[in-house]
Amino acid sequence: MNRVTLLYVGILFTVVLSFAGLTIVPQQQLGSLEPIVNDDGTEYPIEPTGLVAHGRTVYISLGCMYCHSQQVRPPGFGADIERGWGNRRTVARDHIYDRPPLLGTMRTGPDLANIGLRQPSSDWHLLHLYNPEITSPGSIMPPFSFLFDELTLEIERPYDALSFPPEWDPGEDVIIVPTFDARALVAYLKSLNASHTVPEVPQ
Amino acid sequence: MDKDTDTPYGMPEPSTVTWREGVDRSTAVVVMAFVASSVAWLLVGSGFALVASIKLHTPGFLGDWAWLTFGRIRPAHLNTVIYGWGSMAGIGVLLWLTARLCRVTLPFRLPLLVACVLWNVAVAGGTWSILAGHGTSVEWLEFPYHWSFVFAGLFAILMFSALTMFTRRRVSHIYVSQWYLLGSVLWFPFLYAQGNALIHGNLATGVVQASANWWFAHNVLGLWFTPIGLAAVYYLLPKILGRPIHSYYLSILGFWTLALFYNWAGTHHLIGGPIPAWLVTVGTVGSVMMFIPVTTVAINHHMTTKGHFDKLRISPTLRFIVFGAMSYTVVSFQGSLQALRTVNEVSHFTHYTVAHAHLGVYSFFSMVMFGSIYYIGPRLTGREWPSAALIKGHFWLTAVGMAMYWVGLTWGGWFQGLAMNNPDIPFMDTVLMMIPYLWSRTLAGVLMTIGHVVFAVSLWRIFWLRASDVKGPTLFDPSAAVTGGEG
Amino acid sequence: MALIYIFIFGSVVVFGLTAVAGLVWAVRTGQLRDFSAGATSIFDDDEPVGVMTDAFPAVDEAAAPTPPEEGPDSG
Repeated sequence: MNRVTLLYVGILFTVVLSFAGLTIVPQQQLGSLEPIVNDDGTEYPIEPTGLVAHGRTVYISLGCMYCHSQQVRPPGFGADIERGWGNRRTVARDHIYDRPPLLGTMRTGPDLANIGLRQPSSDWHLLHLYNPEITSPGSIMPPFSFLFDELTLEIERPYDALSFPPEWDPGEDVIIVPTFDARALVAYLKSLNASHTVPEVPQ
Repeated sequence: MDKDTDTPYGMPEPSTVTWREGVDRSTAVVVMAFVASSVAWLLVGSGFALVASIKLHTPGFLGDWAWLTFGRIRPAHLNTVIYGWGSMAGIGVLLWLTARLCRVTLPFRLPLLVACVLWNVAVAGGTWSILAGHGTSVEWLEFPYHWSFVFAGLFAILMFSALTMFTRRRVSHIYVSQWYLLGSVLWFPFLYAQGNALIHGNLATGVVQASANWWFAHNVLGLWFTPIGLAAVYYLLPKILGRPIHSYYLSILGFWTLALFYNWAGTHHLIGGPIPAWLVTVGTVGSVMMFIPVTTVAINHHMTTKGHFDKLRISPTLRFIVFGAMSYTVVSFQGSLQALRTVNEVSHFTHYTVAHAHLGVYSFFSMVMFGSIYYIGPRLTGREWPSAALIKGHFWLTAVGMAMYWVGLTWGGWFQGLAMNNPDIPFMDTVLMMIPYLWSRTLAGVLMTIGHVVFAVSLWRIFWLRASDVKGPTLFDPSAAVTGGEG
Repeated sequence: MALIYIFIFGSVVVFGLTAVAGLVWAVRTGQLRDFSAGATSIFDDDEPVGVMTDAFPAVDEAAAPTPPEEGPDSG
């Protein structure tokens, strides 16, 4: 073997080595994780379906992950739990059905791993998405008014028309209703709940 | 047999031009195509960056349109600067440098030109998809899956071309830059194929996709951009100064330790996250071990330049390259520290990390690419850059802009992290405190973007308009001034 | 299942030992000698050691060009 072959072998060896270590070995360790089965037969976690699954695609399509994380760090490392972002750290088992996991790397906005627990109100979420300033003064989250349709009052107000606080009310004649994507996104956000007990985090 | 004095592979023997001219000219059309494309993407990517930056402190800005929402513009920015500007400039430099170091004329020029066109199509198509809402939200792999097959084919053409040149080399010694380039051209296709298969192909599940994601994304920096950048510095620094590298032994040590350690660092993006502790520890260890190759590179570059820093006033390439090389040292040391738990606890999830990322991809890699293009341009075209003022303007705008960018977000981001770790401070306060720094980042971005426009004007004039108003000393031959100049 | 771990770790160990063996062999047979020749391999008679190969273009006006401060020296 001459110097050049040594070069090729070395180059390929170093990358294959890290590939094995950082992907293959963890896959062996974590690939067979199963959901927890509760006494009543339900499971945690469950694979999202229907409106929640579609809401997840909306979350991905709009790039929410680039401002919001979905991971709770362990106690003593940061203040995630003290901030009320979760009652325990998140673990690998929480993400077995995530394709891909939306862990996020920025907290321009708060962590959302348990937002379904923390903010269960659909009305709050819809108002917040329409214009974050309404529910969260000072927020730099962009408005997602394009997730809503603006209608004029015809006979009676639709059941899902947004109710604005007085200072934001656009008036009697303007009706704002969420689109299908908005309702799906809210359903997804309300499904985010990583508080279920898991064996990895003893209580 | 002294192979080094042979005529380069592919040139007629005997030749009317020097071997360098022959090799350089053979690469001209392909390299100019990649470089011109890369600069076009730089302008597009800078535009996206400005919109994204403004949206963070003025969220209503262009807020009515879904295709411009921050969550789409931000990945559009990343992908255009990584796969458009960075990768295409890197490929242009890689091809030119490999041809020079191997003393081989560029083979497969037509396939490479086709690859350049298709690369542009793929970046454009992928970016369009992101803005249209089909992005994957997998960082650094946001293009929809089908585009990765196109890129895979283009990488194959690139790899084949580089390996062919290497096989045909007419030199007895393999210079250190060639090691780095060979590494990058073998490593990156492997990374890209595996990253896509594991994540988009769902061969990995759950959080293993996250680990695979950051194995991939960090290695785009460590095994693609860094080797190309270092290869350029290791060649251009000695060539410009006329001084050999200070310690060649150190340079080889630096290459192998980089190869061994850099690609384990990826999981430092997931410290505190839902992955096994050993996986995080491995990432931290790999990151800290990077002190070794980074220190050897820093010593080498410094000792080579020591005593000759006054040349920064004379050589346009040198100031960009030195700025970039120094940034490499700083960003790498900073990165090693960020992988330590106590630092990461504060810096993770904040704008501190954003500043760090730009210190690497922009302050190191992009500045080295700017310098390399300034060196290569005249040697491809046989013409001088039209204006020293434009070059200096480009340098100062981007250097000052980058410094402002980094200082603002690093300072603000650190305090953002401290505040976020104090549960008594409402989260909204961590947002509001960053606003002035986000404004300073926008201002910095404006300076940098103007610098890019200035650069594009220079490039346009030398590549397309074939302009050269220069009448004095040339980039090729500073000593021509001593004899009165040859225009 | 255990077989997979053996295979993965085993192949990593084999690869590692091969590379180390290769490195030892390379050093023993002198592949990594003569570093100064390597460092100067990018210079030749056209672009020798001691001569700069980059400078700013002269200004557009026909001003007297300023010669660079560095003439050929022993580097």
